[in-house]
Amino acid sequence: MNLLRVQQPLDVHLRWLLPLSTLVILLASWEAAVRATHTQGLVPLPSGIYRSGTNLTLDGVIFEAMSGSLQRVLIGFSIGALAGIPLGLAIGTIPVLNRSLRMVLDTLRSIAPIAWIPMAILWLGVRGNAALFVVAYAAVFPFVVNASQAAQLIDRRLVDAARALGAGRWVVIRSVLVPGCMPMIFTGARIALSFAWASIIAAELAIGIKIAGQGRSVAGIGQLMVETLYVKRDVDALVFYMLVIGLVSLLIDTGLRRVQQRLLPWNAK
Amino acid sequence: MNSAVELRNVGKVYISARDGERVEALSGIDFSLRRGEFLAVVGPSGCGKSTLLSMIAGFSTPTTGEIMFEGKRVAGPGPERGVMFQDYALFPWRTVAGNVEFGPYARGIKPADRHARVQALIELVGLRGFERRYPQELSGGMRQRCALARMLANDPVMWLMDEPLAAVDLQTRIILQDELLRLWGDAGRNAERPTVMFVTHGIDEAVLLADRIIVLGRRPGRIKQVVDVNLPRPRAPLRNSPEMARLAAQVWDLIRDEAVQAITEESR
Amino acid sequence: MKPAATRFTHVIEPLLGLAAVLLIWELVSRHVGNAVLVPPPAIVWRAFVAMLDSDLPMDIAASLFHLGIGYGLGACVGLGLALLAASSQWVEAIVDPFAEFLRPISPIAWIPLAILLFGVGPAVPVFLIFYASLFPIFIATLDGVSRVDANLIHAAQSLGASRRLVILRVVLPAALPAVVAGARLSLGVAWMSLVAGEIIGGDAGIGWRILWYQEFFQMDRVMAGILIVGALGLLADSVLRALQRRLLRWHPSSAVTQS
Repeated sequence: MNLLRVQQPLDVHLRWLLPLSTLVILLASWEAAVRATHTQGLVPLPSGIYRSGTNLTLDGVIFEAMSGSLQRVLIGFSIGALAGIPLGLAIGTIPVLNRSLRMVLDTLRSIAPIAWIPMAILWLGVRGNAALFVVAYAAVFPFVVNASQAAQLIDRRLVDAARALGAGRWVVIRSVLVPGCMPMIFTGARIALSFAWASIIAAELAIGIKIAGQGRSVAGIGQLMVETLYVKRDVDALVFYMLVIGLVSLLIDTGLRRVQQRLLPWNAK
Repeated sequence: MNSAVELRNVGKVYISARDGERVEALSGIDFSLRRGEFLAVVGPSGCGKSTLLSMIAGFSTPTTGEIMFEGKRVAGPGPERGVMFQDYALFPWRTVAGNVEFGPYARGIKPADRHARVQALIELVGLRGFERRYPQELSGGMRQRCALARMLANDPVMWLMDEPLAAVDLQTRIILQDELLRLWGDAGRNAERPTVMFVTHGIDEAVLLADRIIVLGRRPGRIKQVVDVNLPRPRAPLRNSPEMARLAAQVWDLIRDEAVQAITEESR
Repeated sequence: MKPAATRFTHVIEPLLGLAAVLLIWELVSRHVGNAVLVPPPAIVWRAFVAMLDSDLPMDIAASLFHLGIGYGLGACVGLGLALLAASSQWVEAIVDPFAEFLRPISPIAWIPLAILLFGVGPAVPVFLIFYASLFPIFIATLDGVSRVDANLIHAAQSLGASRRLVILRVVLPAALPAVVAGARLSLGVAWMSLVAGEIIGGDAGIGWRILWYQEFFQMDRVMAGILIVGALGLLADSVLRALQRRLLRWHPSSAVTQS
């Protein structure tokens, strides 16, 4: 889209040449600027990030931390789905429930999951379940919202058709409601997963700061970052961790999208 | 100089976005429009008639050849060539009055000076009372009249109309055709009328409205034939007359085969 | 069904829902028996009232300050960048890949780096909000602008509008629905980043204050604070939704959906 009067589309080669050359120039000047001002160690720089990155990968600590975080994301996500989907479907199909719970749910949904950390720490301790609580809390609402909306949008005629064919209530739920809501629920799942991923990091950071310096084993990537922040003070490692977090985020979303395409081929998106 | 618009050997080539192929939309278009003439452009789907109008309006440039307007090369859109679009292209966030006054507003005319003209135009097209309504609140016919008023606000010497009546129902279309003729000056004197280029699918409409009809063929778009409509004006009373029917049949004969071809291809 | 009856139920039912939740809360609190672990509703309410008298207004002001600056900056930069990218294919070719690259990196991931670079303080939440709000608005604006009906632009040009007028008076209003939708989305993310930023790396604001109360085991205040965070988030979204309705009165689909 262009706002000029007439414009030829950009040459195919320029499409990747421009960003690539900008990137190279950016990285080069960044590296040069940091070296010139002797601020290595205070400010990250490309060569440092690369070095830290290779060291940490070879070290293996990051894999342990990552698996810890991912485990909790998975569990929290599952809890969110198991609790959220039935609740959402119920709200979507029973108007009374919808009207009475809407206000309460909207308020609870507006509470940033990380805000629960102080209570969660008190209730579930610092070991890891507090983080899990935050993740599950974050994952529940996208499922509830999407499932309820999907249920409300279900074509009534499909339900009538099933009933006319002799289906009882549970059969209708199983064969019409659930498959019909699947596309939207899947979208909700993707949102829930991205929320869960962001929340686990936030929770681990918060917990990590609480227990910083107490020498406990690193449970997740968030705590690892805190340790790097306050103990090791390795700026480059921090940026490396950020990149890894972004990479994982991309991978899980792409993965889920592939699953969606496989399982729900009738819903071309 | 009597010609308002001149096209010399105009051609247009696209690179298809889908498969990168070269598509020759128009080729070797050569004609000129006299001042005050009403020209209709008809042809099967895909013959490039909208592309042609778009180039004369200045929204795109020809790949070959040149387009002259009043002796000068067309270099872009301008208020002297007013345009009406098939889907009205009304600004949805502006009221009827807001749309109609956009032209004068854009040209820097002060609110006090443009108010009277805008009001007069709104009344002229029969939209009095709807000044503060938004386009979404109007029917198709009303929207088209609003679009007409908007175009007229700049008092353009040329009207470029791209299937302006395609989206309204048949009854409204008949009414709008009559209004269009009236506003253009069907019953008046030759020299004072704007030059019109009217693209349409409707052959009856073309025969009713125009002085001349250009029939385009497709693949590539080129002028198949130019048909003179030697019927007297005012035209509105001649609707459904045998002379018109004969002319319409003549034009349809020129298009029929390619039109059928176009339909079978379109459904692919 | 008499209209009066349904109107009545529409008011009563949400209240019943609220009452049910409060009841469950009270019962759980009694069952646990420890007012620090699970403060009952009445005590939380009293804590809220006490907070109103002391630090709460200041905390809310600080949070809104963080949000205002971060979101305002993010929105302006996001919008400006999107307009630039829309009018120049060079800019778009350069900026878009970077945006796609940064998008998966959640703002939360930036917190430790931000703390290291800016130190614990207001800069952390503000930067976080800026980063969080930039992307949704940039993407939404770019998308909205690219979807603007070309005929609207053509119509304006034919009516004699200058390039500047076309951008300001046609493209921007036409893209507004998409931009506002992006603004609402980015507000949600920004709000979460605000709380996270304040809790983890801030020294003021309601998020930071919740942690402060937790240090002193004033869990009733913590609970009140948590609910206030929710209420404020809801308020912010309502404001934006009302703005959306007002700005888009003319929109045909009026798809100003419930949430």
